[in-house]
Amino acid sequence: MSSLREVQRAFGVALLGGEATGALDGIAADGLSRAARLAIYRHHVSATLTDALKAAYPVVCRLVDERFFAYAADRFVTAHPPSSPCLSEYGGALAGFLATFEPCRHLAYLPDVARLEWALVRALNADDAPVLDRRALLELAAADVPSLRPRFHPSLTLVGSRWPIDQIWRANQPDADPSAIVDLAAGAARLAVRRHGDDVVFATLDTGAYTLRCLLHAGHTLGEASAAVLVEDPSLDLTAMLYDLFADETLVDFTLIPTNEEDAS
Amino acid sequence: MRPRDGGAPMLPAQAGVGLRAPHVADILAQHPPLGWLEIHAENYMGGGPAMRALERVRTHYPLSVHGVGLSLGTAGSLDVCHLDRLARLVERCEPALVSEHLSWSVVDGAYLNHLLPLPLTEESLALTARHVDEVQARLRRRLLVENPSSYLRFTDSAMPEPLFLAELVRRTGCGLLLDVNNLYVSSENLAFDALAYLDALPLDAVGEIHLAGHTVNDADGQPILIDDHGARVANAVWRLYALALERVGPVATLIEWDSNLPALGVLLVEAAEAQGLLDRVAEGAHVVAA
Repeated sequence: MSSLREVQRAFGVALLGGEATGALDGIAADGLSRAARLAIYRHHVSATLTDALKAAYPVVCRLVDERFFAYAADRFVTAHPPSSPCLSEYGGALAGFLATFEPCRHLAYLPDVARLEWALVRALNADDAPVLDRRALLELAAADVPSLRPRFHPSLTLVGSRWPIDQIWRANQPDADPSAIVDLAAGAARLAVRRHGDDVVFATLDTGAYTLRCLLHAGHTLGEASAAVLVEDPSLDLTAMLYDLFADETLVDFTLIPTNEEDAS
Repeated sequence: MRPRDGGAPMLPAQAGVGLRAPHVADILAQHPPLGWLEIHAENYMGGGPAMRALERVRTHYPLSVHGVGLSLGTAGSLDVCHLDRLARLVERCEPALVSEHLSWSVVDGAYLNHLLPLPLTEESLALTARHVDEVQARLRRRLLVENPSSYLRFTDSAMPEPLFLAELVRRTGCGLLLDVNNLYVSSENLAFDALAYLDALPLDAVGEIHLAGHTVNDADGQPILIDDHGARVANAVWRLYALALERVGPVATLIEWDSNLPALGVLLVEAAEAQGLLDRVAEGAHVVAA
């Protein structure tokens, strides 16, 4: 008699597309064949997880067509099964998978479209957090402003691509003009994806604003991030950029990082 | 450990439906006459608009929280992180009932998204009982455990499922969620007597009933019933439900629908059908057609 763990490991292998022999051993063959009984479970696992991915990645699915998507999703499920029962959290690794999945390597923009769709899913399900009250900023001493480290809304993801993924995404919405053509040479997209009220939205950012937010999101202080973007482009209007940062309601909180701690780190 | 429910509200012995995202707006706008609503726990473990809508829904209806992800039958330890998330959800939405399944779905950290069958052995029973104890201690309330729909039987299974469930109830003090469609599907797929199963269950532990539709598929030329929650409740399942009600008495009954989800109105018709049977049983009338 196999231990329960052995039975479950054998099932795990069989249901994720592997060798079925181990799982078949313990199944009673009454009436219907053991393989046919096991296949019902295998089909359910693959079909429901593929459906979950299809729901998270409708544009990727449309770009490659449903049959190819189902094929790729089945391979993805085998390589990256969910680690949590919350299926809205499943599939974040698809972009990385697609980037190395040989049959769609020619669609160079596809992984970045997947990253955008994942950011939309994340934004929809992220925790709520009240937006920072800007009056708290007005109370800061001017000398403290550079040591401010803001915290962004949990729904925010910054997505950058050398492809116009925002245009690709829009052109593949159900209500899009079917005759619209996306110019892949239109250039890079730098997007801030987040939830606004009950809706998920994304804004297009210029290079400076995008870099500033990426640095702040990575934990740098306002002083460090501002200095870095000015080195890149000394012509930037930093005051206007900071005004936009505080006006677009993506910050929820901030801490002040004392200068001596900065030096120590 | 004997769990106590403290001051938890009771689920009324009425018909309810499973709350699905496409129906939320209609439910909030129309407040249809339903005794209660059930949510899938794993759909409400994030934040955002879904959770806000649930906060509104629960001001109008008692809730039941139905988990699909705890994997009570997994060899080894429960996922305490997932149990914590369930506990936080239960604290937040104060449901009248919390339920899970006699099944497993996690192996070596991979979640297989299916309520998989357990060999019905002493090893499985001891393990499941330990996990049910752990969940009840963490949630500080009684858990209902649902009978699975089955497409296979293990050669190692040493006891019939109703006896396994009866022993689980005896060891842990948990309750049962009797899924009448699952019982019917399993009895057809594994060729056993559904009524004998029912009579072997500790029926006083049944705190909720599930009803759902299934599909009849062909497997190697033989019919196999698939529990897909994608159709109206089958006539044979309504008959088995009536037989169950005559034994259990009126008990909170859910219409579950997951695939091919129709308009809310279709679920309300099914719920009204269940409510009609519940009302007649409550009046002491016979509901099983002669």
